[in-house]
This record gives sequence, C-alpha cells and structure tokens, in this order.
Amino acid sequence: MATRYTFTPYNAEFPSSNFPALTLVNRRPALAFDAATDETCYFTAVAPQGLTGTLTAVITYVMASATTGNVILQAAVEAITDGDSTDLDAATSFDTANSSSATAVPGTAGQIDQISITLTNADSLAAADYFRLSINRDADNGSDTASGDLYVLTVEFRDAG
Amino acid sequence: MALIDETGRQRIWRGLMRFWSNQRSALGVNKTNLRAAIDATDQWIEDNQTSFNNALPTNARNNLTAAQKTILFCAVALARVGLVELKVLFGEVD
Repeated sequence: MATRYTFTPYNAEFPSSNFPALTLVNRRPALAFDAATDETCYFTAVAPQGLTGTLTAVITYVMASATTGNVILQAAVEAITDGDSTDLDAATSFDTANSSSATAVPGTAGQIDQISITLTNADSLAAADYFRLSINRDADNGSDTASGDLYVLTVEFRDAG
Repeated sequence: MALIDETGRQRIWRGLMRFWSNQRSALGVNKTNLRAAIDATDQWIEDNQTSFNNALPTNARNNLTAAQKTILFCAVALARVGLVELKVLFGEVD
C-alpha cells in the first residue's frame, strides 16, 4: 500500500452548486458536508508513474456536532487519457461512484475518524492520466443518519504499490 | 396558527443542524430523531396554544396578535437558554 497523494481542503475544486463550504475547524481547513443535501467536491491530479493495483481513498473527517449515527461517503474517479475524445469543455465522465459502508461517527464531536473507500470503479485510471477524484457525502441515503455537518480534513489516495 | 407543513419542518431541520454544526454543539440525536422532535414540538404547540393564550395577562391576551404572542414565547424561551441565543432572534440585545 503506497500513498500517492494527500489532498487537503485547499486543493478542492467545486461544482456550480451543492458543494461543501470551505471552513476552518479550530484553524484547521475543512470541507463542511451538509447533513441534508448531497454535496460534492473534486481533487485533480495526474496519475503517477508506477500506479498499480487496487486504488483506495482514505478520508479523514470529524463531525461538527453529531455524537451518534452513521455517515456514508462516496468517491468517484474520472480518468482522461492522452488522446481521449472527452470534451472537457462540455462534459464530465466520472465512473460509477464507490460507496463506503454506513460508518458510525466517533462518540465525541471533533474526534477524527478515517473512512476507507475501495475504488472498484476507477474509470481504468492509468499512469499519466489526467484525473479527478470526486468526494461526496451521501446525505440523502437513509443509512446516513448522523446529524449536522461532516468536516473532511484530508483525502489520501493510495494504490497497492 | 396552523401546523407547519413538510417544507417548513424540513427548513427547521436543516437550519437546526447547520446552526448546531456552526456552534460545534454536541448533538446526541440522529437525523430521524431530530426530525421527530421537530414534529412533536410543532404538535405540542398546536395542542397547547389555547393554554398559553389563557396564561397571558388579559391586556396582552386581548391586544397582541397571534404572531406577536409567538415571538413573545420564543423570546422568553430563548432567553432561558442564554443571551447568545436571544441575539439570534433580535440581533443586538442590551
């Protein structure tokens, strides 16, 4: 298992609507994902040379207020290879989202938890691809029960190397 | 005043979660239970508004509008929580 990238909130890019607010938690940058509305952000990179095997996104988060309940996060990959016909001006081409299990939040708000999402659907990502990793909270999923904001602190991108 | 409709109750639900998130106020209820509490509170107000009205002094009972009585109730209830919460309703409070 090798860490290929660590994305912080300041690396995040946002869609035109339904995106997490960029905020500070005790001066630590965080992305605030709402409890009632699905919100999404993206992280962009070039897939590193030597990328191999199963890919994983590990999301470090804290809850703003919730001390009980579960959360579900999703990660999706959009991989664009040199010569692909995707018109980036007009289209996105994310693979099917990969979901975490419903994960119990820490019993104390502000304590971190890490959710690991296996990127089974990785859009055939290969070394040198221009890619985006999309992260969202599946807030409207009935199994996402924790109240209040979820603050994403970092997203680690791993491969099997 | 009538019971709050579904849209209104969802507004309260989202608003409370955002408010408490911003306050970093520990919240030991999940989304479903919080929503049930909102529903129950609305129903309790519906069921007890006559009792509240009868508890008011005659002058206030006869001269305040229903909306004013509701704000009165909220102001007193918020002040019991604290000054910060009262400012949420009134802005600045001296």
